[in-house]
Amino acid sequence: MRNCLAVAMLLFIYACGGSQSIPQWKDTAARQLENYKINFLADKEDATEPHFAKAKNAISSNNDLQLLATVYLTKYALHTAVLEDFDDSDFIRIDKLEPNAANRAYYDLLKGNISQIDETKLKPTYRKLLQLMKDKNLSAAVREIASIDDPLSRLISCGIWVKYMPYDENILRLAIDTAARDGWRRPLWAYLNKLQKYYLDRQETAKAENIKERLDLLKK
Amino acid sequence: MSREFKVGLFIVCTTIAVLLALLYLSSEKGFFANVYTFTLSSKSGDGFTDGMPVVFSGFKIGQVSELELNEKGLVLIKIKIPQRHMKWIKADSTFILYRPLIGAARIVVTTNNLDSAPMPPRKIADVEIVNDINDLIKIVQPLIEKITQIAENLERISKKVDKMADKTDEQLYGKEGTLPQVNKILKNIINKLEKLDTTVDNINKISKDTSEGTKDFRMLRSDIDDAVNAMDKVVIKLDELISSKKNPEFEVP
Repeated sequence: MRNCLAVAMLLFIYACGGSQSIPQWKDTAARQLENYKINFLADKEDATEPHFAKAKNAISSNNDLQLLATVYLTKYALHTAVLEDFDDSDFIRIDKLEPNAANRAYYDLLKGNISQIDETKLKPTYRKLLQLMKDKNLSAAVREIASIDDPLSRLISCGIWVKYMPYDENILRLAIDTAARDGWRRPLWAYLNKLQKYYLDRQETAKAENIKERLDLLKK
Repeated sequence: MSREFKVGLFIVCTTIAVLLALLYLSSEKGFFANVYTFTLSSKSGDGFTDGMPVVFSGFKIGQVSELELNEKGLVLIKIKIPQRHMKWIKADSTFILYRPLIGAARIVVTTNNLDSAPMPPRKIADVEIVNDINDLIKIVQPLIEKITQIAENLERISKKVDKMADKTDEQLYGKEGTLPQVNKILKNIINKLEKLDTTVDNINKISKDTSEGTKDFRMLRSDIDDAVNAMDKVVIKLDELISSKKNPEFEVP
């Protein structure tokens, strides 16, 4: 028994000391990509692009095109989350050179090409959403999106739906609440603007005016 | 000798003395010397002014007398050089507009071969422009980026130190605990930053000589690079000690 305890203790000590150092490029890339996401969502325009460039440079030094594609797709996903269009030329070049089914499925989802997506290759978080997009089931989609744990994935789902499918007030409010909870100004303003336009299109001028007033106050 | 005569003699002598002094000063200042005019050209008139000095080896040998725009849109700069300084202006002389960070702008004449033929009066030489301010901005911009990196790294270090609160006392204060090792590392950072501090102080030399100052900036940049790299290593070392960092995974959000 005593021997067992001693061995267990030795194993524990060995496990504690066995942490491997992380390669610098990986550490830099992960940190810069995280900073890029934070600054992008917080609408810090000046700080956004330098972080993306640094993350891209760090990843490039590893000669892994799939990782580089991940960085670009992250950028496209963020633009989708805030209802903006994106320049996909870099990903297309990577995809031609080194195709990857999972990356392609994610890209097609962000572009709204739902008929081309291989569901099995898609990230599990978005599989149900894809099915609901095919069924054009908005109310179920709102429930499904609300059940996504990660707020960024939730916003991306909202962005995909609002950009390519008929939407309603509920999905816009879900996106607004998600953005507001984390203090993400860029998506918050994007969805508030969308909601204002939604009310204007439906001649609900009082509600539209209310949102405009709110936006003016928030941006002041 | 009458009093009137004496007063008259005094006035005449004084006037002659004053005139001689004026003549002497004027001739010394080159008032009677022949002055030659040369024409230089530049694509832009930025930085040129009437009266701007023309210097050779740091000595003023002439000045800009006139600026005009020709039919082709080129700026023509007329410089006046007195006879006694003509020996410095040769056919192969180059003219540079030097705009230092501190001090007045000037046209610098450089002549490699003083035995070469004199510059023909009708030749229109080009003026090159050396701009310390723009050069400096080019050097300083990356510096600011590096300093931001240092601030980021310091923030990361403070977060790491915060995370040490999760450790037990033994892990923290023991002989081989984290804290004594972190202490050693932090001392190392302080040394690096002290070195940086000295270099920043050296920038004061810029006011004495701009080109020397530019060298200082290059030194500062290399020191900042050192500090950034050192702090990167420190953060990695702290990660190893605290063992709280997982290998990052890259996946789409």
